[in-house]
Amino acid sequence: MMKKIIKSFSSPRFTIALICLLGGIFAIGLWVPQKDLLRDIYFEWRKNSPGLVSFLDFFQLTSIYTSWVTLTLWICFFVNLSLVLWQRIPMVKKRIELSETRIAPPETAPGYPFHATYPLPAGMDGATVLRLLAGRGYALIGNASAFYGVKNRYSPLAFALFHISFYLIMLGGLVSFYTRFTGYVDLAQGEQFNGELVQYNQYPRLPKIGSLPEASFTIKSIMPHVDHNTPTGIDVVLVDKGGNEHSVDINRPYTTGPSSFVFNHLGVAPLFVLKDATGKEIGGSYFKLDVVKGKEDTFRLRGIVFRARYYPDYTVQDGKPTTKSMEFNNPVFVVVAERDRKKIAESTITKNGSMEVAGYQLEMRDMPFWVRFYVDKQRGLPIIYAGYFIASIALIWRLIFFRREIVGAVREQEGSLFLIVAGRSEYYKNLAVEEFTKTFREVVGKRADG
Amino acid sequence: MIFYWVALVIYSLACGGFLYSFIFKNPRFMPKMTVLFAIGCVAHTIAIVARFNATGHLPWSGHYEYALMGGWFIVCATLWVGWRNRELQALAIATLPVVIIMLGYGYMQNPGLTPKAASLKTIWLYIHVYFAWLAFGAYTLAMAAGVLYLMKSKNSLRPVPNEVYERFPSLELLDELIFRYLVFGFITDTIMMAAGSLWAKDLWGGYWNWDPVETWSLISWVTYGLLIHLRVTFGWHEKRLAWLAIAALSTVIISFFGINLVVDTSLHVFQVR
Repeated sequence: MMKKIIKSFSSPRFTIALICLLGGIFAIGLWVPQKDLLRDIYFEWRKNSPGLVSFLDFFQLTSIYTSWVTLTLWICFFVNLSLVLWQRIPMVKKRIELSETRIAPPETAPGYPFHATYPLPAGMDGATVLRLLAGRGYALIGNASAFYGVKNRYSPLAFALFHISFYLIMLGGLVSFYTRFTGYVDLAQGEQFNGELVQYNQYPRLPKIGSLPEASFTIKSIMPHVDHNTPTGIDVVLVDKGGNEHSVDINRPYTTGPSSFVFNHLGVAPLFVLKDATGKEIGGSYFKLDVVKGKEDTFRLRGIVFRARYYPDYTVQDGKPTTKSMEFNNPVFVVVAERDRKKIAESTITKNGSMEVAGYQLEMRDMPFWVRFYVDKQRGLPIIYAGYFIASIALIWRLIFFRREIVGAVREQEGSLFLIVAGRSEYYKNLAVEEFTKTFREVVGKRADG
Repeated sequence: MIFYWVALVIYSLACGGFLYSFIFKNPRFMPKMTVLFAIGCVAHTIAIVARFNATGHLPWSGHYEYALMGGWFIVCATLWVGWRNRELQALAIATLPVVIIMLGYGYMQNPGLTPKAASLKTIWLYIHVYFAWLAFGAYTLAMAAGVLYLMKSKNSLRPVPNEVYERFPSLELLDELIFRYLVFGFITDTIMMAAGSLWAKDLWGGYWNWDPVETWSLISWVTYGLLIHLRVTFGWHEKRLAWLAIAALSTVIISFFGINLVVDTSLHVFQVR
């Protein structure tokens, strides 16, 4: 019974079935709204089709990547992989072995589709033929009267390497899963980050094993670049506690140890100050407003709610504020002040400008930017990358540097020496036939008639 | 832009010519169409150079540039294999329609000149996209070889076979070619995915984000891996492999073009969000 189970779990048919099922599951994930990605759509859908959603929820197909179905398939996949690898090890060992049992008469050797006979030129003997074949990458066993040769003898090892790479990728994924911290931190120009949990936005993902990212720096400057409405870069300069400057840009995160700070989002952090009728400052702060790309954001001062819109290249069109481009040529805020949900003032405000708000004066003294960093710390990446690398090497090794096997003999017929050979290869019969023809013609000095 | 249109017109003419030589059983017409095809490729190359001259960067971003560059890879791959083996010139009958549709689709998107977005300023772009197009080119050739295989095998069953098919390689060679293109495509696909994953780590913070394009690339990679597995392990070849090579190309087309038609949340639109 156990043997039967092991046999079915290790069968290539089972591998194919699992790959198909995993592909199917991923495809389902594209069509079924996923809870984490499309929360609103999911809840709306659950309200409208409770039966269907409950059914899908039972299989956790609305959280496809952590679904028990997916996890079961992955477990089966790796069990299958382990069994296949285990069973193939003796086979791989046998295949790379240079055994005399492989020597066979070239005229009758079974499974060799290429057959040819070449007359050897005067002065050339069997030993020379073997030496020339060895010089062309063939590992040989036997002697001129009967030999076996193999090119890319070790290529079956790539099979094991390829399977090992899967384990590395899985191991790296596991290590990453347990040590991973992810979070977002919003930092304005001049602001310091010292690695404390409170500085992160809500709900960072804490590592199950390990600590928070250990980093401490101050944002020295933030300078976005937009050219013809295309964001072409953002220069963020930060200074670490050792006084060293680091430049961050899109595609160039700040990396310290296993932690990386990736630029994620840009905003404007104006310094608004509220003064009373006597000119006394009664409130003020830098407000990190998420207003780039036409979004509206709010801030509060002294019970007044200010709704702010940002126009990087301000102009007025048909009596309405708008922006000529996404370039930061003429940055202006349009601020609407509300008290008890009633509009009490509205005005444009530029840097060092001000507006009147119900007896108060709102001044904007500074208009720096803020950036949101995606903070990621995990320790499994090098293992995953090693897995990718080994997988690529193994694929190339196995499928490009494929095995070619020959059996041959140098025989004397009617006073002349002839090289009689048979050849075969993995995967590419026609390609190998071309190569055998070329190789043997070169070996015998292009005097071939085979 | 003029060379873009010249290339498109020439490709359309050549495609018509290839179809004519098949339908009207005129094999002598095929080499002439290959020459026309090559002239179209020259115009296509000039269009790429002109684009590079105008933007200052290689045209590897945005749908128009994807189409321009991707089409060029497929055209060059078809011409190259046709040059190495004259019998394979007929592959163009299957690859040219793909290129014409791609170029037309690209033009319908945004052909305007734009500066290079910050997200694309990395060496990984070239590695990732270069290998992606190599893979797409190879998979397209595998599809084309599959089409030729099926046509030729069907022709051999006819009472009066069409002599055009005599110009094709043997069924055995076509079968092996499908596999060779699949292997080449799979290896370059693997490198493309590894390079993309390294790029994603710097750009988005994670090497894998389950973005729709990423997911479909994985589906495509698994599908082609499966095809190779079926051939190597189960000995699936000939008609079955030919049909699979044709069908599997749909996963690549979905990854490259289909996703962005139905989903606007893919990170692969390369906007700074």
